[in-house]
Amino acid sequence: MRRRRFLQTVGAGTAGFAAFSCADQEHAERLASSETGISEAGLTWSKAPCRYCGTGCGVEVGVQDGKVVTVRGDKKSPVNRGLLCVKGYHLPGMLYGEDRLTHPMLRDGDDWKQISWDEALDLIASKYQEALDESGPDSVAIYGSGQWTVFDGYAASKWFRAGLKSNNVEPNARLCMASAVTGFMTQFQSDEPMGCYEDFEVGDDFILWGNNMAEMHPVLFSRILANKRENPGVRIVDIATRRTPTTDYADMYVEFIPGSDLALANGILHLLVKNGKISQAFLDENVIFKRGIEDIEQIGFGSWGEDGLGLDPSDGPAEHYRFTDQGRDASLAELEEFLADYTPERVSEISGVPVGQIRALAQMYGDQGRGTVSTWCMGVNQHTRGTWMNNLITDLHLITGKISRPGSNPFSLTGQPSACGTVREVGTLAHRLPADMVVMNPDHRAKAEEIWGVPSGTINPKPGLHTMDMFRAFMRGEVKVMWTQTTNPWVSIPNLNRIEREPGDGRFLIVSDIYPTPSTAVADLVLPSAAWVEREGVFGNTERRTQHWHKAVDPPGEATEDAWQIVEVAKRMGMEHLFPWPEDDWHKPMYEEYRSFTLGLGKDLASYEQLEQTRGMIWPVVDGIETRYRYAAGYDPYVKKERGVHFYKAKGYGEKAAFWIRPYHRPAEMPDEEYPFWLCTGRVLEHWHTGSMTRRVKQLHQAVSEGYVEMNRVDARRLGIGPGQMVRVVSRRGELELPAMIDGRGEPPQGSVFIPFFDESRLPNVLTLDAMDNISKEPDYKKCAVRLERA
Amino acid sequence: MRVPVKLIGLAALIAAGCADTGMVEVPDHEGALKSSAAVRAERRAYDGAPPTIPHEDFGANCSNCHNERGRSVSGVGFAPASPHVDTRYAGGTMRCRQCHVFQETDGLFVATSYEGVPQDLAAGDRATPGAPPRIPHRVLMRENCAACHDGPGAREGIRTVHPERTRCRQCHVPIEASGEFTSEPGK
Repeated sequence: MRRRRFLQTVGAGTAGFAAFSCADQEHAERLASSETGISEAGLTWSKAPCRYCGTGCGVEVGVQDGKVVTVRGDKKSPVNRGLLCVKGYHLPGMLYGEDRLTHPMLRDGDDWKQISWDEALDLIASKYQEALDESGPDSVAIYGSGQWTVFDGYAASKWFRAGLKSNNVEPNARLCMASAVTGFMTQFQSDEPMGCYEDFEVGDDFILWGNNMAEMHPVLFSRILANKRENPGVRIVDIATRRTPTTDYADMYVEFIPGSDLALANGILHLLVKNGKISQAFLDENVIFKRGIEDIEQIGFGSWGEDGLGLDPSDGPAEHYRFTDQGRDASLAELEEFLADYTPERVSEISGVPVGQIRALAQMYGDQGRGTVSTWCMGVNQHTRGTWMNNLITDLHLITGKISRPGSNPFSLTGQPSACGTVREVGTLAHRLPADMVVMNPDHRAKAEEIWGVPSGTINPKPGLHTMDMFRAFMRGEVKVMWTQTTNPWVSIPNLNRIEREPGDGRFLIVSDIYPTPSTAVADLVLPSAAWVEREGVFGNTERRTQHWHKAVDPPGEATEDAWQIVEVAKRMGMEHLFPWPEDDWHKPMYEEYRSFTLGLGKDLASYEQLEQTRGMIWPVVDGIETRYRYAAGYDPYVKKERGVHFYKAKGYGEKAAFWIRPYHRPAEMPDEEYPFWLCTGRVLEHWHTGSMTRRVKQLHQAVSEGYVEMNRVDARRLGIGPGQMVRVVSRRGELELPAMIDGRGEPPQGSVFIPFFDESRLPNVLTLDAMDNISKEPDYKKCAVRLERA
Repeated sequence: MRVPVKLIGLAALIAAGCADTGMVEVPDHEGALKSSAAVRAERRAYDGAPPTIPHEDFGANCSNCHNERGRSVSGVGFAPASPHVDTRYAGGTMRCRQCHVFQETDGLFVATSYEGVPQDLAAGDRATPGAPPRIPHRVLMRENCAACHDGPGAREGIRTVHPERTRCRQCHVPIEASGEFTSEPGK
């Protein structure tokens, strides 16, 4: 547990008023005989985006003798201007854990057998071919992530959709920001935010919806803090279900009952409408109103329910599983009528938020003299009504006209370095093609078939399995071959018990990774991948910035890049025509082919040369010039107006944005007598996601070495639990023992606990439930019911 | 040349091995530099990495002690001033623990072969024997030179001999290689 050690580091105890001690002398002597003082002469520097979160900080990578030995924050990067967070500063160590995977390894009973790349690739090709021949394209799958480079994702999507005629391509980003995709698509018919990071310097009020920015997007939070320091009128509102390091810097902390953010947003809308704080001219010119299905019985909670009538015994009714939202036209008058139910008093009752705070929030959003930026990330996306909550936050900006202008934007943040670049832009979700296109649309398929040079009718019009379905289909045996890359699903999938796997079950699982993980442990074949600057790459960050890096060092052993692995298998299946580029120079032509999807559509990516020479470019890039504010006159070259905004991508809405009326629904599971606590899961600053990289970095592991359950001290005292004591956390799905953290960095309110998920030996996902947002198919990691016992 | 220095009143604080004499051999300038570099390296993954915090969490605001001038904390030692003052994009320096972390354990998850690049002692060279030495490190987020180069926190070897001259960069220029990407084609 969190041992508060007093470290006897040199200087700590001896510094006093002496600038010199005998410990210094010992060091000096030791050093005199060592090689300290190597000059920088042997260092070469190159640029790369950070490997971890969606912020996409620019890093200068220092290489000596074929190893990454140092990094610096890139002063010339417009993202971070020289600053990094503790993870970024300790990037080099991530590459050099001594258990790096270095050779393809094939399962041999309980043991592993080293095999050659040729054997491994031939085996994968034959497994895929066999499944295709026997069971068709629905029986094969590939599962990547928002850490796939653009090359990896593009290769996977093209191989599957144009080669195997299967759409079973998915990323772990389904678990992460699929609700933001459905949010933006339903409102603008084009994905991704309109603003850029400059919003953080020019905005006045920052409304953080369930978003612990200080830990999860630290460098962006720093930009807000810098703004606040220079402009004391700047305000930060932390709307959250627990106190975090972000709360320390907030002007107002708004604590709400989990799931009631839907009611809170409607309460703010109610006051805006009632008090005449809406922007009628903006609405008339730019906005239409839509309303979807609202019957909770009809929608359900994705795959989870009590009836057991779904595809799996514990699924909800089959119609919940197959739910599709149907939007119909609505109006401002209908909105007013709908909002009558969301008086501050009633919203306060549902959410636990004091009426005064609801009024204060409405005052902020309604103040036309101040720029308002809303940010959100997992709290809103990993939500059984995640699409609705995305819609509602954007609604607040549409109804006030505070959108597509510097310092006023709804700003969805992503958690992975290329969630935007690879998942959303390349289109590695099961239903998507590049540049906002989908497999269901015949015109979109035709365009992709033309660029890919495959016969008309090649692309399967049926969307593939979404992540939750993909893993269930694999467990049922319907998916026979699955390949995962750059992700660790046997830690990160909710309700893990449901995908517990014994190898040798007749299916074949290939896992590409850089280190052993719980996912490699259940694989049949493990492939060693090149990490970060061990290969060439392109990532796209949260502000639509596409960033390129060159390979800086060789990967260890026989490790290779993920895209290469995919291309080599495709070639062995007779699909070399899909990847016709020279073996020693394929990155640029692959990117340029992909880029051709985006040109002329307002999704235009920068040229490869420009990416090589700049610290990234924000799309749409037209005539070499980036677009900081989408849809905004004077910024976006696709907007021909002289002023104002033009939502030109929303062809289906008459080139206007859609305001969606969305009600409050209760979460799928709520505390009761048997399971009286809320459980929320998430991350910590020092570790990134499942910890497979950051735990191998000495300074990060030593800062936070193991998982814990964060409790309110009143609950702890009542249950007789002291700091560091072991607690058994039990849900309807599983149980987990871990030490209690009391008065740690975060403080959940009474009746609520938090568990970080970086520790593979203490997996909170044995507790979480696999209920989903039935529009985005994104599960909810933030709300389920547990009970606590002293272990 | 080594000069013996008597460290009055510090015997109790000095590590075993030479505590009994009360006398410490102070090495020459190069040795002092190396010593300073060694202490610096103890807490850093590589030269330039943010140091980990070498004391326990007292539950206080960092800036209570690591203020503009630093502060002596009884029983612990001298808390040096923060070197971050005039950074243009200094929001990050308002949240210390974004970059500086406590060390809660000394174990490893798995062994590592990572070795960070050490401080380049030759980089602070002088053009001629009387010329001011160059600044051998990046200045970004280290704008308060006095934090490390003056006062009780300044170690022998890097302590300024003219603290009254407060505009350091009038004579000392930093080595900033930022942006010169040696491995980047086309730039």
